Amino acid sequence: MGTDARTGSRERGDSPPADGSREGTTRRDMLRTAAALAGAGGLGMLGGSGIASAAARASIAAAPKRGGTLRAGVTSGSSADTLDPHTWLTNADGTRVYQLFDSLLAFDKNAQPQLSLAQEVTPNKNATAWTIRLRKGITFHNGKPVTADDVIYTFQRVLNPKKPLLGAANMAPLNIAAAKKLDALTVRIPCHTPFAAFAELQACYQYFIVPVGFNPKKPIGTGPFKAQSFTPGQQSTFVRNPNYWQRGLPYVDTLVISDYADETSQINGLISGQLDVIDSLSADSIAAVTNGGGKIVVSEGGSYTPFTMRLDQSPFNDIRVRQALRLVVDRKQMIKLVFGNYGQIGNDLFGLYDSAYDHALPQRTQDIEQAKSLLKKAGHEKLNLTLVTADIAAGSIKAAEVFAQQASAAGVTVTLQQVPVSTIYGPNYLKWTFAQDTWTYYPYLPNAQEALIPGGVFNECHVNDPAYNKLFKQLAATTDPKARTELTHECQTREYNGNASGYIVPYFQPEIDATSSHVHGLTPSKTSNPFGGFDLASIWLS
Amino acid sequence: MALRRASPLERHPLARLVLGRLVVGIGTLLVVSILIFYATEVLPGNAAYAILGHNASAQEVHVLEVELHLNRSTIAQYGSWLGNMLRGNPGMSLAASLPVWTVVKARLINSAVLALVSGLIGTLIAVGLGVVAAARKDGKLDNTLSATALAVTALPEFVVAIALVMLFATIVFRILPGISVLPPGTYAWQRPTLLVLPVASLAIIIVPYIFRMTRAAMIEALESDWVEMARLKGVPPLRVLARHALPNALAPIIQVVALTFLYLAGGIVIVENTFAYPGIGQGLVNAVTTRDIPVIQFIVLALAAFYIVVNILADVAVLLVTPRRRFPR
Repeated sequence: MGTDARTGSRERGDSPPADGSREGTTRRDMLRTAAALAGAGGLGMLGGSGIASAAARASIAAAPKRGGTLRAGVTSGSSADTLDPHTWLTNADGTRVYQLFDSLLAFDKNAQPQLSLAQEVTPNKNATAWTIRLRKGITFHNGKPVTADDVIYTFQRVLNPKKPLLGAANMAPLNIAAAKKLDALTVRIPCHTPFAAFAELQACYQYFIVPVGFNPKKPIGTGPFKAQSFTPGQQSTFVRNPNYWQRGLPYVDTLVISDYADETSQINGLISGQLDVIDSLSADSIAAVTNGGGKIVVSEGGSYTPFTMRLDQSPFNDIRVRQALRLVVDRKQMIKLVFGNYGQIGNDLFGLYDSAYDHALPQRTQDIEQAKSLLKKAGHEKLNLTLVTADIAAGSIKAAEVFAQQASAAGVTVTLQQVPVSTIYGPNYLKWTFAQDTWTYYPYLPNAQEALIPGGVFNECHVNDPAYNKLFKQLAATTDPKARTELTHECQTREYNGNASGYIVPYFQPEIDATSSHVHGLTPSKTSNPFGGFDLASIWLS
Repeated sequence: MALRRASPLERHPLARLVLGRLVVGIGTLLVVSILIFYATEVLPGNAAYAILGHNASAQEVHVLEVELHLNRSTIAQYGSWLGNMLRGNPGMSLAASLPVWTVVKARLINSAVLALVSGLIGTLIAVGLGVVAAARKDGKLDNTLSATALAVTALPEFVVAIALVMLFATIVFRILPGISVLPPGTYAWQRPTLLVLPVASLAIIIVPYIFRMTRAAMIEALESDWVEMARLKGVPPLRVLARHALPNALAPIIQVVALTFLYLAGGIVIVENTFAYPGIGQGLVNAVTTRDIPVIQFIVLALAAFYIVVNILADVAVLLVTPRRRFPR
């Protein structure tokens, strides 16, 4: 992380969307793109300079226009909407917060953490202290320069012991009280325990830099837009930040984000010309949008909706039962039924786009015979299960129905208990024996820290595997990329073999957004956050 | 000894009726408010869980519960709410941390505008058509109108609304806005085009009921002896219709119009939802999702009060158009 990774893919504007597009056609698309490039290169040779002509073509294809008002329609909002970048929750909140604030690092379109406000984020040898150096010349919306004090204040605010905010649990190893300002732009923060995940966590949605004395009612950040008005549950209006540090961005002058109750009204608004971009559609709505003249942008990202089995409760305390249930899933059929032509199959692992993800583990496929024999050995030839499901993510209930259907082939009777979202996430959350949950994309280490370690804030499967815990402790203290990859593979093998995981991860769900035909610059993001990773700054109107 | 004079209430049955109904109404409101409190209590989770979502730790939830006074008993919470309400203070929204009135005001006004405008337009059209159909009983026009009305009563609100959107906003023509999102701080009448489709949907839904009742009542009146008499006297047909038949058909029509307005108070929720219209329907859904009890209380009580007021107004109106019932027998 030490080098100045440049300002993210945003500046490139209309870059080819190949990176985040759907798995099913990736290979073919790549071949086609390669052929096209070869062709273009060949033509360019004839003309004299291949590179120059390709660049010229690109600039003609994507000459973003400045100005106009972008109207975004989002679901998932409510009167609990907030502009506080450290307590935001829903996609509606994220869509707003990401326009007003920046963090030290941010995910690029390939879900890789890249330096953003920071010019340098470096650990000491065993990751017990981090040095953060800010980019020069960045100012908040009120003109105040961003300094080391603001970084310290941000973490103090998140970690406030009296009122810890959402990101506090993941930053627990940080010893913010001992933070030391080295100069106006540099700060050194020691850690209570080795904390190798610190840098990549900065991109994880909760650590936006706010000025000292931040007041969420007057949300001042460094982001591409400034807040002008905000009515929770209804609408917000933001205006262009003319001093934004990423040159040229944003393209539109005004941004209006409105809350919608459902996707029917979102789509009606888009087609009747009252909205320019909408988010989080179901696969069933694609035809309605394209027939109405709209464009679809699908992000094939790392968000997943696992079935969660509690390792400390019968029958899932038997590893054979867990592995058997993983084997009953026909993953290809499941995504076909739930998402049509979109979605990617999972291998019961998370952290899909982490560079350390173990792609060498064989893809698990349906094997009813083996599932049956495992269940027989475990003494559960006839197994009755109750699966708690709710509309927590696109396709979640449908996936549960498909699972119940597929499991019956192995003699497992799955009864679905469909509850409201507020119930599945109510007081019983993290206590269900067999349920579903949904995770946004995280790199491996932060996700594992929350999900698989005793005391992890979302250890819903009650995983406690001594061998895994030991590996994880090592991983958390390792900064060398090669060593980290090896340790990650070892960790993931224990998950894959069922020792240290109660997850069935059958798929990674697609994020389906739509725009009207005059909207450009919306490209897919592998974080699977809406609007290409909440990237409204790159959108322009023709 | 002077004769005991009848008290004012005894002399004015109208005033007595209104007063009696008001007392009962206030009692009803009180009962409703207790029911809402306990109903929200039965739902799993509370505002703190709802606001913080599933990403919150137990400590965060606890901090917010204390902040919102949710750690007190239900009775204590209800007591302080009622005390504030009696002093004219509906309290603070838990989710938005703004006064309830600030959160709800624009929504109440927008919904009232939508309900009133569609109620009035629907009533005028329905009564007009009903009178015409009754006058041409069993004619071609009457048969067509009656059959259409019957068919429309079978359609749920959202079907009518979506059909109108498809026809005028998205698929066939694109001449009207398909959604009615008002910028915060503006009221419906400032953007009349946004009202067209929601009003049309609601009007189409309510017209059949009023039409059928008007037609039936008018037919009954037209077949009565006094209309027969008027006709024999040679009163012109239009005058028979307007002066002799209609006033006598008004009582049942008023009843059904009142029922229609009561229906509108609930029925607009679905239409508001389809058009993303910022009214109380959307507000109530929002409030329930976030377990925002003070806002739920206020909206439901406003609806209950509306029911009570409309009922009283209907009774008064019926009394006024039927003189014989104005005096005690």
